Amino acid sequence: MSRIFKYAFVIFWTLFVLAPLSWALVTSFKTPAAVNQGATFIPWVQFDPTLDGWKDILGISGYANLIPNMINSMIITFFASLISVTLGGLAAYGLSRFRYGWKYYGNSDIIFFFIAQRILPPVVLAIPFFLLLKNLRLLDTHLGLILVLTSGLMPIVVWLMVDFFNQIPREIDEMAMLEGCNPLQAFRRAILPLSKPGIAISAIFAVIFGWNDLFFALVLTFTEVKTLPAAVVALNGTVTPFWTLAASAIFSILPLIGFVFVVERYLAKGGFSGAVR
Amino acid sequence: MRDRKRLLTRLAPIPLVVVLAACSSGGSDQGAEDSAGGGSDTAAAEGMGPGPAVKEATFDQNGLVDYTQQPYTPEAYAAAAKVNDGDDDCSYYETSKKDYSGQSITVLAPPPPNMGEPMAQHGAMFKELTGGDVIIENVSVGELYSKAQTAFQTGVSPYDVTVNFSTWIGDFGDFYYAIPEEYTSGTGSLATMLPLYKEIYKWDGETKLFGIDGDRHFMKYRTDVLNDPAAQAYFKEQTGQDLKVPETWTEYNLIASTLNGFEVASQPAGVPLAGSVEIMKRDDLMWSAFINRVAPYAKNPNVTTGFWFDENMTPQVNNPGFVRGLTEFVEATNYVPQGGQNFGLSDEISAFGSGQGIFSYTWDDAWSQANQDDSPIRGNVEAAPNPGAEEVWNSETQQWDTPEGGVNRAPYIAWGWSSAIPQGSENKQMALDFLCFFANEANYQVDLTIGRTGVNPVREESFVPEFWVEGLGWLPGPTQTWIDTLQEYNTASNRVFDLRVPGNGPLMAALADGVALALAGQKDPQAALDEVAQKWEQIVQDIGEDQIKEAYQAVIDLENS
Amino acid sequence: MGINFYKRLFLLPGLLLLIAIIIFPLLFSIRVSFSSWNVSRSGLDFVGGANWARMWSDADFWGAMLRLLNFGVVTTSIQYILGFMLAHYVWQGIKSGRLFRLIWLVPLMTTPSIMAIVWRSIFREDIGAANGLLKSVGLSTIGWSTEIVPAMFTIYVAEIWQWTPFMFLFLLAGLLILPKEPFLAAEIDGSSPTRTFWRITLPLMAPISIGAILIRLIESSKIFDSIFVLTSAGPGNATETPTYFLWKRSLTEFQIAYGATLALTYLIVMIIVLTIVAKVLTYISRPRGW
Repeated sequence: MSRIFKYAFVIFWTLFVLAPLSWALVTSFKTPAAVNQGATFIPWVQFDPTLDGWKDILGISGYANLIPNMINSMIITFFASLISVTLGGLAAYGLSRFRYGWKYYGNSDIIFFFIAQRILPPVVLAIPFFLLLKNLRLLDTHLGLILVLTSGLMPIVVWLMVDFFNQIPREIDEMAMLEGCNPLQAFRRAILPLSKPGIAISAIFAVIFGWNDLFFALVLTFTEVKTLPAAVVALNGTVTPFWTLAASAIFSILPLIGFVFVVERYLAKGGFSGAVR
Repeated sequence: MRDRKRLLTRLAPIPLVVVLAACSSGGSDQGAEDSAGGGSDTAAAEGMGPGPAVKEATFDQNGLVDYTQQPYTPEAYAAAAKVNDGDDDCSYYETSKKDYSGQSITVLAPPPPNMGEPMAQHGAMFKELTGGDVIIENVSVGELYSKAQTAFQTGVSPYDVTVNFSTWIGDFGDFYYAIPEEYTSGTGSLATMLPLYKEIYKWDGETKLFGIDGDRHFMKYRTDVLNDPAAQAYFKEQTGQDLKVPETWTEYNLIASTLNGFEVASQPAGVPLAGSVEIMKRDDLMWSAFINRVAPYAKNPNVTTGFWFDENMTPQVNNPGFVRGLTEFVEATNYVPQGGQNFGLSDEISAFGSGQGIFSYTWDDAWSQANQDDSPIRGNVEAAPNPGAEEVWNSETQQWDTPEGGVNRAPYIAWGWSSAIPQGSENKQMALDFLCFFANEANYQVDLTIGRTGVNPVREESFVPEFWVEGLGWLPGPTQTWIDTLQEYNTASNRVFDLRVPGNGPLMAALADGVALALAGQKDPQAALDEVAQKWEQIVQDIGEDQIKEAYQAVIDLENS
Repeated sequence: MGINFYKRLFLLPGLLLLIAIIIFPLLFSIRVSFSSWNVSRSGLDFVGGANWARMWSDADFWGAMLRLLNFGVVTTSIQYILGFMLAHYVWQGIKSGRLFRLIWLVPLMTTPSIMAIVWRSIFREDIGAANGLLKSVGLSTIGWSTEIVPAMFTIYVAEIWQWTPFMFLFLLAGLLILPKEPFLAAEIDGSSPTRTFWRITLPLMAPISIGAILIRLIESSKIFDSIFVLTSAGPGNATETPTYFLWKRSLTEFQIAYGATLALTYLIVMIIVLTIVAKVLTYISRPRGW
């Protein structure tokens, strides 16, 4: 009974996930007229498919070429995620193992301070960040955007990894240190190998959130460093080109699917109790 | 107890930085100083850039401009007519004598096709003729304002040209470089622009906008429905009146509500016919559509003290004329297509263009869409001035007047695309030469005939039907009605203009908020507009009453012209 | 080198980098909230608490804040339940688990603002897929964006579709690192799967669940793209949320000073609310003797 429910739910959810994506895929092969004359679902039967939507975003028709934007996005996402996962992971380990603080301001408050950076919506930080980057001469540069994104990605990594490290028994570090490691070596040799799932998940979150940041990219760049989401949104003219935007929606998730496919294999069932002995 | 401490410790960083901020307040106001728009007289000499070197012309005088032979040829241009180069200062021939190699300008523009496409097309050709780079940053229409304003407010100037809505001039006027007179007179490319638009593109007496478009809102109606015998008979039976092109909003509403859902033989298959297609989505230019609904009820030819404010700067948005317009706008929710209460401009264009409504009444876009080759209602749409009203509110005598001739008309000269050169640009000469090239005779003609460029008729020579019938293959009959409509707007008196003052954004947003509440039935029209008037008073206070009053006087002069 | 050196070595690089990046925006926002910077007057004058007083009596802003009870709390709860179910299924093992896992993560990868446009193309009443399907099976069509209940529904659907995978992955991470002993013990006791779930899995997952719920509360309170594209805060102002309100004040009207005031207010309210929520959740999920 519960087995049937389980698979029914799994199938239902999978269909729900796929439905809008397949609609986007179908729409990406439509002409403007086919979109505007009512909903159709089946290519060749209900409408004649065309590659125009795709040609428009790949530089073939001269309309727009999203590939340089994709490369920008890759550079920015890679470095912002790398910094966030490295420094965020170290900070999370520290927060999980040591006691920091000053008077009442303790570990849990520091952790909260990290995550509190995500509370403010980017719309209100746009102008201050704009002024900051202006004064640092980092407007419209990769580095500027990487720094700003890092401030948003690191909190997620810390928030996730603290819980994760808390689950790894302290005996593991203690044993490593008994064998003569200093805390950094203990972290690297004993903890890091056990942390692959946590790092993988942090990296997935960091990369996805970094990749999809629209707002900072929109405000803080002009012509040199247009990221993919900013470039896609800039295709939305007086008349919304649903066909082109649907193609872009599919196009921009392709690299992420590849990345997640590679990283996801590290998400194996762990359970650390066995590792102590 | 401990919880309270926890809460306090988490909030602790905030008061701490308040103190720090107070200390540092002296040092952190860089943005402000550079951005206060300097006087244009002194700036005129600055930032012009090196200018062009002189070179041999590479384009024949009065040569044939063939858009398929240019470096970037979007589909629409490939089909465009070939025209001969003009004699103006920035013709292909004249431009080809300028050498801008090694220089570049950056243009902020909306995405193709509207404005983005002609910018990209002419930009590529400008590079071929002069060697100078035209780099275009496209942002969505909704981001144009904030992108430019962020730069202006913080004293950063990444752009040499910004494309904008002309209604923003109240906020941007001081940040723009004044266009020298040679461009708007003599053989300058804007010389033949209608005087009305020359006025609109001025701010504080100086031409601040390089006018590449001129707009107005007018009515489009479906002739196949209004001429359909069954529809005529049904309308007669229901109302006792003859079915004809509406002269007043009352007639418009009656036709739209009576024939909402009526089935005519010529209707595109599978598309239900609604009475009217309107822009009702709150933050998608709805305020601009709403002005049409109000104008004839609230713009009184005998009142010379203003449409938006009276002489004491009391907002008029809640006077009985506005309330009447809003009441009918609310009733219109009953005869728009399903979902029409959430239609933005984009939805309006595509919905009317695909045959979903009998009427529509804003920009040219829906008209162009309906006249395209693949339009299912091509040839069945004609144009007329927007409806008038049988009575009009007099804000001076505080009563309703009956207009002479029975109908009060108040055409709305809505804002359109325009372009400008920011004060901060370091290469103004090249920017000027590019804009001037953009708007030269040949380019203007071709852009006009491509409906989707967003370039609409604004010069004297464009108001002849042959131009359109031969240029684009439009049908003579409908085209004539359209030209007649535009001509009527050009010469009409008692016109309504946008509120071209600093703070246009917040004022119109407050108006849209109130109208949206009424449309959704959350407030009745009077209460909704009373609230808007209250917010307007607050906004006027915040921005500065004198500043707004001074700017508004220029609008009143236009209204009374 | 002492333990203190290492202690700092772990935390400080990240913490200091973060502070370095955010200190100026924070200071600037606070300073600007005491000025009158607006569209016609850029610069940092000093007007005292005028903006703060105005914020206090701004009914539209507080109305938008109240709507978060709806958007933030309800969507987060639904996402938590669905995400937990999916994570639990994958953790227990299902056929082709890796394939499903990958597919379920795809919504998270889409860019919210672009996906919102796809949703609009689905829910637009005249040419959208939703009404197209209804029509093709002979049902009457629905005014998705013009009636309040369907409008809420479409926003819920978009949010749940996009963000349930976040819950799923976050909670899956938690499940993957649960210790094995309690489950072995339960197996030996002959505990039923349902009982094991309520007595062991759920309590053990409490810390990570609270973490996931808090971060989703933070994120879903920033809901913007789907509302902007799908309803433009309508019908009326029924779907106007604080982020939307802030966006209009700050970036379309350039009431920079007032926008900063509202933003700081929002920040303070959220810190208070989240601290309380965290406390309450910890209290509810505290280990009970059993």
